[in-house]
Amino acid sequence: MSGVFARVRILPLLAVFAAAALLVTFPIWSAPWEGSRYATSILRDMLVLAILALSLDLLVGSAGMPSLGQSAYFGAGAYAAAIAGQRLGSDDLLLGLGAAILVSSLLALAIGAVAVRAAGIFFLMLTLAFAQMVFAVAFQAVDITGGSNGFSGVRRPMLFGLDFNGPDALFHLVAVIFLVVLLIVWRIRSSTYGRALVGLRENERRMRALGYDTTRLKLSAFVLAGAIAGVGGALQAYSLRFVSTNDVGVARSVEAFVSVLIGGASSLLGPVVGAIVVLFIERVMPSYIAFAETVLGLVFIIFVLAARQGIVGLARVAYARARA
Amino acid sequence: MDENNGAERRYRLTRRQFLAASSAAAAIAACGPAATPNPSGAATVEPTASPGPALKIGQLLPFTKVYAELGNSMKRATDLYLKQKGNKLANRPVTVVYEDEANDPVVGAQKTQKFIDSDRVDLMMGIVATPIAYAVRNAIDAAKLIFIETNAGGNALTRTTTNCTPSCKSKYIFRTSFSSYQISYPIGEYFATQKGVKEVFTFVADYGFGNESAADFTSGFTKGGGKITGGLKAPLGSADFLPYVTQIKAQNTKDIYSFFSGTDAINYIKAWTQLGMPAAGYKMNGAGFLTEQDVLKEVKEQANGATTSLFWAVTLDNAENKAFVDAYQKEYSLLPDVFAVQAWDGMQAVDLALQAVKGDTSNKDAFIAALESVKFKSPRGDFEFDKETHNPIQDMYIREVKVQSGQAVNTIVGKVARVTDPGK
Amino acid sequence: MTPETAVVQALNGISFGALLFILAAGLSLIFGMMDVVNLAHGAFYMLGAYITLSVVQRTGQFWLALVLAPVLIGALGLLMEPLLLRRLRGRHLDQVLLTIGVSLVIADLIGLTWGREIRSVPFPAGLDHAITILGGDYPVYRLFVIAFGAALAVVLAIVHRRTRVGALIRAGVQDAPMLAALGVDIDRLFAVTFAIGAALAGLAGVIAAPVFGIYPGMDVDYLIYSLVVVVVGGLGTLSGAVAGSALIGPADTFGKVLVPQFALALIFAIMALVLLLRPTGLLGRIRIAR
Repeated sequence: MSGVFARVRILPLLAVFAAAALLVTFPIWSAPWEGSRYATSILRDMLVLAILALSLDLLVGSAGMPSLGQSAYFGAGAYAAAIAGQRLGSDDLLLGLGAAILVSSLLALAIGAVAVRAAGIFFLMLTLAFAQMVFAVAFQAVDITGGSNGFSGVRRPMLFGLDFNGPDALFHLVAVIFLVVLLIVWRIRSSTYGRALVGLRENERRMRALGYDTTRLKLSAFVLAGAIAGVGGALQAYSLRFVSTNDVGVARSVEAFVSVLIGGASSLLGPVVGAIVVLFIERVMPSYIAFAETVLGLVFIIFVLAARQGIVGLARVAYARARA
Repeated sequence: MDENNGAERRYRLTRRQFLAASSAAAAIAACGPAATPNPSGAATVEPTASPGPALKIGQLLPFTKVYAELGNSMKRATDLYLKQKGNKLANRPVTVVYEDEANDPVVGAQKTQKFIDSDRVDLMMGIVATPIAYAVRNAIDAAKLIFIETNAGGNALTRTTTNCTPSCKSKYIFRTSFSSYQISYPIGEYFATQKGVKEVFTFVADYGFGNESAADFTSGFTKGGGKITGGLKAPLGSADFLPYVTQIKAQNTKDIYSFFSGTDAINYIKAWTQLGMPAAGYKMNGAGFLTEQDVLKEVKEQANGATTSLFWAVTLDNAENKAFVDAYQKEYSLLPDVFAVQAWDGMQAVDLALQAVKGDTSNKDAFIAALESVKFKSPRGDFEFDKETHNPIQDMYIREVKVQSGQAVNTIVGKVARVTDPGK
Repeated sequence: MTPETAVVQALNGISFGALLFILAAGLSLIFGMMDVVNLAHGAFYMLGAYITLSVVQRTGQFWLALVLAPVLIGALGLLMEPLLLRRLRGRHLDQVLLTIGVSLVIADLIGLTWGREIRSVPFPAGLDHAITILGGDYPVYRLFVIAFGAALAVVLAIVHRRTRVGALIRAGVQDAPMLAALGVDIDRLFAVTFAIGAALAGLAGVIAAPVFGIYPGMDVDYLIYSLVVVVVGGLGTLSGAVAGSALIGPADTFGKVLVPQFALALIFAIMALVLLLRPTGLLGRIRIAR
């Protein structure tokens, strides 16, 4: 830990802390605005999608594993947090998050055991197909998930006697957990393990020659990504106090995938920026125009064609040019 | 939650609110020529002697995804109603903000938040899909926002349930559509007692609504002395219905009760005729959506003979319905469907309640009391809310599809008067 | 289930399988040649169905749609390959991602153009009646679908094995760079392949239009069906698409009525099982898993 921090100079560190504090306190300082709570709710959903996108980027950006089924673990986390709270009659946030992480990582382990043996496009299709299977189960298991009617009666998230149920408190909670996830992902990426994942993407054969068990490496990344997606799902369940089959649906996976690519894969902030852009196009723009989906598709095409490094990558290039 | 305590600054016209109002116009333009040939119901405020403060209605409807046309239909009815009233209800100029719920509870919840906090609407209407209504129920209740549900028919929305799961009634929520009990139980009882049907086989869409419909039909039918001989379920969005109809044909009960709507209903009816079910003596019956206008205009005479129950039919013979169908046809050059009626009655209920409180929506309890006591002649017949649940008390019509002068229409063959949901 | 019912269900399953084959053939062809899974395949299929709707409404001629839709959608493919996909040549995954964007745009534009009502196309005249099989009615159109699927498979096989284009495709599947080195215009070959694959998706949209409803969201539903078929059968070969649809069609049909509670998940479970037992898919040449 100290090694990492030594490299970070004090001023940027202060800036990071300031940005984090600004984010967490958003509902407070935006309160005088008209529609501040609506903005808060959109920002909250952006952070939840950003967590999902960050989990996906561990696979896409780091290990070169394009999963199109990340909603399976997101949804599993949402249902797990909701069901654990209700069945055990507990409002404990740690219990909900724990259940979400447990269930989503176990699911990722089971599916990953099959899926990580495939690569590239095959991996993409397999993850999509397995996610559809999970969707089918969620839809069909009415007694457990509520089926198509959705799961209502998600209990309030409470931690050490603090009630995170109000919209502002909930936002603080989501923002803090988002920052924790961001920190964890950053730590993973700068660790030996993270570099091994990048090696996997760059040249898997060479990694095997170097003595890495690449299948196990991939599987561990898959499970890790599943667990993080599960955390995102749990936050989604708490945000809405409701879980619907849409949360396991293919549309969520596509949203996350598009976020990663527009924002920029294999950069820490890329998926976050992407999630913000995608939800802006999908949720805010339809109030003003009817062809938001077309806009999203076109933006996505442009980025895949011309700016594969994403918004963050573009910004980095622009910054480098400005300094030169 | 305390999202809605900004009444004092509600009528301050901010840039944000102006944007919201113009967004309504944009949404109208956006729906395209097919959807809205006449963009009339926009936020045009006519200058009159002394209009009251603007009344803002948030309409949460699907404009994309599979239920988009239901949303368009409900929007047409809303716009038409306002046009007829010169865009004023109880002397208050009306602004409608339309938002797309995209058939996703997360989106629906977010737009509800927008209505509450950003648009600061006086009341909210709409929502087609039951899960979305269930998902936003608590937020609406907590915000004390008056909400007129104009489609979703899940039973729990107007009932008292244990732990409010999957949903429960709220004093702020009214429904001008129906509960699945209302379109399923009475026809079950009617079949057993009036039509003399002894046995029925059920075949429904395997999701919340289809299962509720099957259960309510079954209890009505068996209470009347009928017997359910078996059942089959198809997942929502089943592409191929031939396997199911083949299976139905392989059993001997001739009367089939079904709940399907939209694409599923079309595919089912086509498979039904393809396999020659009518000639083999089988009879198609169901909740009214099976043969509603959206389906009927596609399958036409293939639905001939199907018996369904609903609280309205385009052929219903009363003065209000004639006026409504004529006006709708004149405005849009197409026949209205039941979704339009639901939205229309939502507007009527709001209009009458507003008149009763002289346009004052600031006293919520008074407005709720006014809504609870509205009684009016709807295109569907007599309409009033059950004060206990806020679900409508309405007549259920038994309708049979007949081909009249080359057109397939639902004709009324029976009636179960004043059906109330048993919810408390 | 009586023997008579079982036979009728088998017919249902085979005709559903034939539809799936028509749907999946183009996806398999493009993959075999270009190593690209065209995720806009469902959108092309949807476009085919909507073009059919318009043609039938205007002219009443289903058969005109059967010609027109594949031609128009093939032309779209012919434009799309050089304009979009070619820029990413060699980056297969990026090409796949590109097709996600294309499908979003096409599906949304269809909604804006045709509206978002649920629609249906009547059976074409001459194929709208039923014939007697085992003492019960059976729709002629479903038999036509079986025949059409079989004929398409035969035609594709002949093109594949006996013609110059087929030889080029076979060679391209084996080793495209080598083909280019030998002086074959690989750009043209890829554009034509993509166009044919798109046209086949459109063709599937026409054939399926009278059977399945036409509605917003159908693109994703049928894309997933076609993916399952090609993965189960084995990617990139014509025989794989045949095998996949021959298994999935009847399995889906019998699964729906025998184990209705698993109807939604069944085909995915079959897919997982096939991949566990045979990582190449039933008849694939490429091992999906190591």
